[in-house]
Amino acid sequence: MGRTDEELVEACQGGEGSAFDVLVGRWEDRIRGAAYRFLGSEEEARDVAQEAFLKAYRSLSGFKREARFSSWLYQIATNLCRDRLRRRKTRATVSLEELEEAGPVMVETGPGAHDQLLALDLARAVRDAVESLPEEQREVVILKEYQDLTFLEIAQALGVPVSTVKTRLYRGLGQLRRRLEREGVRGRAPVPAPAP
Amino acid sequence: MRGYRETHEMDCERVGDEGLQGDRMDVLYGEADAAVRARVEEHVAACAACREEMAALRSVRRDLRAWRRPTARPTFTPRGLVLPRWAAAAALLLLGFGATLGVTGYASLRRSLAEQEARAGDLERRHRDTVQALEAALRGRPPATLDTTALLAGLDARIDERLRASEARQSERLDRRLASVEERADAQRRVDMARVAASLSYLDGRHGAQLARTNELVGYVIEASAQKR
Repeated sequence: MGRTDEELVEACQGGEGSAFDVLVGRWEDRIRGAAYRFLGSEEEARDVAQEAFLKAYRSLSGFKREARFSSWLYQIATNLCRDRLRRRKTRATVSLEELEEAGPVMVETGPGAHDQLLALDLARAVRDAVESLPEEQREVVILKEYQDLTFLEIAQALGVPVSTVKTRLYRGLGQLRRRLEREGVRGRAPVPAPAP
Repeated sequence: MRGYRETHEMDCERVGDEGLQGDRMDVLYGEADAAVRARVEEHVAACAACREEMAALRSVRRDLRAWRRPTARPTFTPRGLVLPRWAAAAALLLLGFGATLGVTGYASLRRSLAEQEARAGDLERRHRDTVQALEAALRGRPPATLDTTALLAGLDARIDERLRASEARQSERLDRRLASVEERADAQRRVDMARVAASLSYLDGRHGAQLARTNELVGYVIEASAQKR
């Protein structure tokens, strides 16, 4: 059984440098994933993840157990993304190449081609819809939908009450619903079969 | 299809109830405890607008999954790779050439390895013979004795001798330098004295000439005053 994040943090604080490597291995991909959703660029997401871990390592001595390590890490990464977005004049856009990598890209002739095109269209519409949300709602939607954090973890990461997180998410989902309806793409995702 | 806000605001009497919104979020994301779930289910069973809204939000959540994060681009995708025939033929030719080279290279490598092994075996045999000959020669000779005391005494004597020679050289060099310094100081003293003497005689000369000139002028004055009288 591996050590928990908090045990690893304690080990780091006690001078066991290799414990931090375990934390990086455990969280790097997810932090990069969140940064990618915020910024729309895999390259920038990689930079943000590195920066976030560096910042976390430097401030590890000051980390208190009031919040979970993961929430603290997400908080650092979210702030870094906010800084980058503010520095940008225009909203980040994902290149078609990146988008194609994300979805079912091998569009071929023959049966299934139509479904693939629809899926690609839906992916593009969803990305645009999420990017169009106000920053507060976008952060909550990304952390909940794509990072699967609990409401409490999101609240800790963003430094707001849990009730605020739920309200922002509710409003964000409502906006997404309306936008996807306008685009004519809502409800295209296949409905999963009910559990037996 | 009616929009969400229109349906909700028109039909649900608890619109704006943030507690209910929060509870529904808990249910939607599987974070509700049994009591919250029961509360929401009770309301949703009686409220068509909220029932429809919950279904719509679940549908939106499914749509959101369509936006996937890019994965690493595969380096080789056989399904999507289409090559012209000439390129395929060239690739096959190159592959065949490469394979031939590989086989030839392998055979050549094996041959050179065998030769290398034979050379190494021969060298080893020769070394072994040499070592045996040396051992036999050593066995035939009486053991050599080493007089370490005499060796050390000889070494001491040589060190002492070198030290003495070095000291003598240092002393001689010092004497030479002292003599040189004294000689230079003497020469300088002589030069300085000559300069002083020359300066004094110059001053004496000037003083003497001036005195003679004064006497001459005084003589003229006396002679002139005598004539006037």
